[in-house]
Amino acid sequence: MISLKDIEVVFGKGTPLEKRALNGINLEIEDGSFVTVIGSNGAGKSTLLGILTGDIAPTTGKVMIGTTDVTRKPTVHRAEIVARVFQDPLAGSCGTLTIEENLALAERRGKRRGLAMALSSNRREMFRERIAELNLGLEDRLGDRMDMLSGGQRQAVSLVMATLTGSQMLLLDEHTAALDPGMAEFVMKLTDRFVEERKLTTMMVTHSMRQALDFGHRTIMLHAGEIVLDVSGDERKGLQIEDLINMFRQIRGQTLDDDELLIG
Amino acid sequence: MSQIALWGAVELGLVYSFVAIGVYLAFRVLDFPDLTVDGSFPLGAAVTAVLIIAGVNPWIAALCAMVAGAAAGLVTAVLNVRFKILHLLASILTMIALFSVNLRVMGRPNVALINEETMLSPFFGLGLREFMVRPIFIAVLVIIALFAVWRFLESDSGLAMRATGANPKMARAQGVDTSRQIYLGMAISNALVALGGALFAQTNGFADVTSGVGTIVVGLAAVIIGETLLGARGILIALIGCVIGSIIYRIAIQLALSSDVLGLQASDLNLVTAVLVTFALVLPRLRRGG
Repeated sequence: MISLKDIEVVFGKGTPLEKRALNGINLEIEDGSFVTVIGSNGAGKSTLLGILTGDIAPTTGKVMIGTTDVTRKPTVHRAEIVARVFQDPLAGSCGTLTIEENLALAERRGKRRGLAMALSSNRREMFRERIAELNLGLEDRLGDRMDMLSGGQRQAVSLVMATLTGSQMLLLDEHTAALDPGMAEFVMKLTDRFVEERKLTTMMVTHSMRQALDFGHRTIMLHAGEIVLDVSGDERKGLQIEDLINMFRQIRGQTLDDDELLIG
Repeated sequence: MSQIALWGAVELGLVYSFVAIGVYLAFRVLDFPDLTVDGSFPLGAAVTAVLIIAGVNPWIAALCAMVAGAAAGLVTAVLNVRFKILHLLASILTMIALFSVNLRVMGRPNVALINEETMLSPFFGLGLREFMVRPIFIAVLVIIALFAVWRFLESDSGLAMRATGANPKMARAQGVDTSRQIYLGMAISNALVALGGALFAQTNGFADVTSGVGTIVVGLAAVIIGETLLGARGILIALIGCVIGSIIYRIAIQLALSSDVLGLQASDLNLVTAVLVTFALVLPRLRRGG
């Protein structure tokens, strides 16, 4: 169970540029559930994600992952329980290391790293199996440098890296936004399969309303640092993109500029 | 070039292999441009010389030199990581400070080690001529250091260090404490450079406070020559490239200085070095047709 309690994030507090990025967020995510998060630019999606990864410390409030209070834990110290895939395919892996070295790095996520060889034959075999699941033919290129891969291939490998070992939470930060439509669909389906198979507690931030409704069990909409919509179950099943836009208008009592939410 | 001069060039190249490997760790693995080496090389020489004169076993003296070098690297790393001083500037500060430290350690600008027991003493008089014993002895040490560094960089821990240099944000997301990796890497790098200094003092029979000037350029030249010749094909090849680059650099310098046609003299060394390094930097670009 992930729980956020009364989370407030204020940037530049006490200065003329003070910005309230999150305004009293209360959120509980059950184990094994897949939550999608949408919202316009500046709604607080990235800040919410940052709170969970540890990149941003909340001004007030409490963050619990499982039974651990991680509110003040920096990224490094919560890596063992939080896995993530970045938006930029180049950000989630090391271009100058080989595919298998990147996997070896991810396999020890949050664990002690000793002086044992990073690439034992056992590990190589395990990596080969996992990479073969992608059906991209990369299992024969494990010794290639990561920067030889395309953006989509790299993102697919990042996904394998994030799910290589157990974690209590998988965070996806618009991880298909930088890919071409075909590759984006491939990576999204892959994501869905991995999350389903491994029953991963997942939060996916996305710009695409289609993705937000088609995948996962629950959808949250953020606006001006607040949760304005939280749907799951049957209510969510019958939901169309148009409904989402209408709901949004109702809740906020204002018209919505179509450009603000990309419909994909 | 005489046979003795060639052996001498190889010997010096091998001594500076330690510098090259240290520079490779800082510049290439950690992506940390580190000028501390101009200070940690003579620091290694100074510590080992003073200790040997005081009657300490030369192996232990070399070990102490490494510890001193590691401490110097650590100072630079702390200035950069903890106090956010730009890496280049942080290393220059340490380098400048080490000049005074080295003078304090030795008590005077240079210390002679003639007739003192060194790491090499037991190997003289075994049939080989002295100018051959020195490079062979150092070559063995270089091979040991090379394999140790290679083995480390291929380990889980070494991988964390490489990730720190390649993509620190990703490294942190994987739970790698990047600050600690920089401390560790800079300590190892400068320990190797100081070991080079210690061997320099023991093979040449003196330690001099000015012997560090340009160390960084020499180390970088070796790394770049190695990369130019062997290409980017993994850690082991890169490390071997450091050693080969260092030796080739010394032979090239020796050739340039001993060639009567060019009319160069010993004092032209720095100019020749700069030209060689520039050439090594430009060559890969020309080859790519850029």
